[in-house]
Amino acid sequence: MPLPLVSRQQIMLFRLLRLILILALVVSAPPSFDAMAQALGQGAAGLITDQQKVIQGLTAKTDDLEKKIQQDGEDDAALVDIRLQLEDLSRAALTSALAFRSRLTDINNRIEVLGPPPAAGQPQEPDIVTGERQALASEKAEINAVVASAQNLSIRISGLVDKIGNMRSALFRNLLTKRYVLSDALSPEVFSDAHDEYANLYKAVSSWLIFAFKFKFKAILAATFVALGLALVLLVGGRRLFGRVFEADPTVEQPSYLSRLSVAFWSTLLPSLAVSVFLASTVFLFNYYNVLRGDIGVFLNALAAVIAVVFGVNRLTNAALEPRLPNWRLIPVETGPARWLVRLTTAMAVVIGVNYFLSIVNDKMGSPLSLTIARSFGATIIFGVILILMAMLRPFRARDGSWRPWPAWLRYMALALGLFTIAAALLGYIGLAIFVSVQVLVTGTILITSYIGFLSARAIGEEGAFADTSVGRWLSANSSYDDAALDQLGLAVSVAINLMIVLVFLPLILLMWGFQPGDIEAWAYRLATGITVGSVTISVTGILSGIIVFIIGYFLTRWFQGWLDGSVMARGKVDTGVRNSIRLAVGYSGVALAALVGISAAGIDLSNLALVAGALSLGIGFGLQNVVSNFVSGLILLAERPFKVGDWIVAGDVSGTVKKISVRATEIETFQRQSVILPNSNLINNAVGNWTHRNKLGRVDIKVGVAYGSDVKKVHAILTEIARGHPMVLKNPEPFVLFSNFGAAALEFEIRVFLADVMNGNIAQNDIRFAVLEKFNGEHIEIPSMPRAVVEVRKPEAWPTDDDKIEADFVEQEQAKVEAAAEAKKLAKTGRKARKPDPD
Amino acid sequence: MPCEMQQRRWEHRYCNMWKSLVAAVALAAAIGSTHAASAVNKDAETRTLIVTEGGSKSDLALAAGETVEFCPNGCFVTLPNGDLEALTGSETVEISGGVARIK
Repeated sequence: MPLPLVSRQQIMLFRLLRLILILALVVSAPPSFDAMAQALGQGAAGLITDQQKVIQGLTAKTDDLEKKIQQDGEDDAALVDIRLQLEDLSRAALTSALAFRSRLTDINNRIEVLGPPPAAGQPQEPDIVTGERQALASEKAEINAVVASAQNLSIRISGLVDKIGNMRSALFRNLLTKRYVLSDALSPEVFSDAHDEYANLYKAVSSWLIFAFKFKFKAILAATFVALGLALVLLVGGRRLFGRVFEADPTVEQPSYLSRLSVAFWSTLLPSLAVSVFLASTVFLFNYYNVLRGDIGVFLNALAAVIAVVFGVNRLTNAALEPRLPNWRLIPVETGPARWLVRLTTAMAVVIGVNYFLSIVNDKMGSPLSLTIARSFGATIIFGVILILMAMLRPFRARDGSWRPWPAWLRYMALALGLFTIAAALLGYIGLAIFVSVQVLVTGTILITSYIGFLSARAIGEEGAFADTSVGRWLSANSSYDDAALDQLGLAVSVAINLMIVLVFLPLILLMWGFQPGDIEAWAYRLATGITVGSVTISVTGILSGIIVFIIGYFLTRWFQGWLDGSVMARGKVDTGVRNSIRLAVGYSGVALAALVGISAAGIDLSNLALVAGALSLGIGFGLQNVVSNFVSGLILLAERPFKVGDWIVAGDVSGTVKKISVRATEIETFQRQSVILPNSNLINNAVGNWTHRNKLGRVDIKVGVAYGSDVKKVHAILTEIARGHPMVLKNPEPFVLFSNFGAAALEFEIRVFLADVMNGNIAQNDIRFAVLEKFNGEHIEIPSMPRAVVEVRKPEAWPTDDDKIEADFVEQEQAKVEAAAEAKKLAKTGRKARKPDPD
Repeated sequence: MPCEMQQRRWEHRYCNMWKSLVAAVALAAAIGSTHAASAVNKDAETRTLIVTEGGSKSDLALAAGETVEFCPNGCFVTLPNGDLEALTGSETVEISGGVARIK
């Protein structure tokens, strides 16, 4: 008799597969129905009879399945299989009903063209019209009847699916609450049963082996070698590809958490994959060469699955706990306990695996119930003991060297679960005990994996951690992201990992705890398509797609901007101011467009938005007056371009170079390096002086006063000569010396020179003033001055008496000089160019 | 040409951007592929569809001008003129002048 204990484990695996399938389905597009296309080619009358036959066939199959439900009511896996078949039938019924759509549309169109039958008072219509209408109506009635039968079938199938659900939950309840009489099962008879069964198994296997070696020896050799070769290719290739991250390097003192994680991941994945590939290809090739016979294939499958799982669990625990390399441990336990934990976990996997394998053997050999019970009893008792042992471990060490146990909640939970399993087994609730132990194993694995995932998310989120990862290094080498941006990216990645863990592991755990995949699917669907609050529908996919569309639009705009600026306008020798304006305008309009498209893609009705905007506009008129006026001014600045980035402008009290023109304000840097943010409306409404608007030509005035009694003609000549002689001074417009005033103290002159670049004004002024003073000194021309402060000159110090002190001071001074020279040299070496002085 | 070989800095940068763009488009395509059937009532009065989905019949009343999403996994619908139609879950049922059309 097939026991539910067996099928329960199979269903666990089956559920996992189902989930993966559903995930794949969610991602892929909905399936297309080809029946419509086929139906188009068929004749109308043939169509109805064809589909009638199809639906009759489906109904017959449904009848069969309904009978099967009654027969296999005890077998959970069979019920699941029947349910899947029923769902297929339901889809088939729907598809066959779909075949009528085009014909039904044609009939409706024709009836519309014929019009309604004439009323009582109206003239009779031709017989042919009446006849056609009647024919169409009857055909339509037939079609409706067929579709109705399909509908009834689908309703019936839904009812059956519900019934299966109820039966399965009843089975499950029964499994958990069924009590076996242990005294029968654990009698000495069990040993003889076990011996018989072992003998049977031995006979089956040995006869198969003899057969295989006699007739299929070459095939076995070939299959084994091919499988081994495949696994080796995978392992060696993987090692070559990921060799750097594959093996833990014992010389590294403190590997980062991420590198530890990646080592753990790859050193688990690659060998497990290689072993799985070896086992799977062996089984496949044995099948292919017809080496397998009878039940041996089933045994071999089960054995391969058990070996793969045990090996994978062993690799995973080894990688996470690294008993040999404390530095590379993912979970910070001590070395001795780590070794024990690896052993215990592997033992647990072996127990569950062997139990599974034996259950398959029992099933196929048709062994007595008592044997099955005894086996499950032994397995659950051992499992419980291992769980208790794990809970009793003291894996941590306190500062004073004493051993510390697990955290209390974990310890007591493991203890309670282990005791519960043992107690349930001892009381005869074998099904419950097996269920609990499998749950503990699978849920525990999922929880530990997700815990490690959380740890890695936290490690990535730490400051500077992301820049150290290979992705971060690649990004910082290949893009313009700086450290801060990388840090924020790391934070985003860590949030994404957390989210992914919840999205992946929560459904897994729910699935393990008996929730139906359909439930989870329905929740996911509702979350994705929208939760309706009042008349507003909020849908995650809508919002996500809106955001994605906006991001795409944004990047497209940025790309277009860069392309326009960098290749089109740069090559077209467009003026920088125009370039800047066009770039900004393109940027703003692109982002606005992307925002609009994004909003409509998110499913938010733009007309609703217009309503809100209309209501807000009054408020905007009052409250945001300034902002709006600045915004409009910014647009005018972009269009009119009174100044561009890099210009020297004077606006009111502010004088400096323009750094950035944005929509609301313009940033000006004064020559003292103060950033002044000037609202754009100021720049539009008030006068703005621009020294470098069309060209950089500018005039510099230098005032010179000479004493009364000087030879003014000579002074004029000297000044003119100096002005003309300066290399920066333009020849045209000519420099001009103005005798400007008979001042109170002096005869005042003014040298007016034009410079090609007014930014050089200070240099020219300095040069000219020095030259004037020098020349006047030579020609004995006085520059009068106001009364000056009298400075008392100190008398020189007396002849020094303390020679040693003087010497020490002198040495110190010399040293300071040398240091200053070295410093200057260093500065010169760093390539810092002597900067031109600011013009103002 | 790989991004690393781009000559100018901005080209280099936008080249990498293209990669992320392609990824984003793929993601959007993956997300955008779930649909349900929708029904639009363009008449000025309420119309009713009878929807058979998952083993139960229910009335779907559509107010004037209303659009409703329903039937994600296929269903049967009785239209206002009494016709029974099957839907796969990607169609649009448009009601105007009391007559429903499936598109």
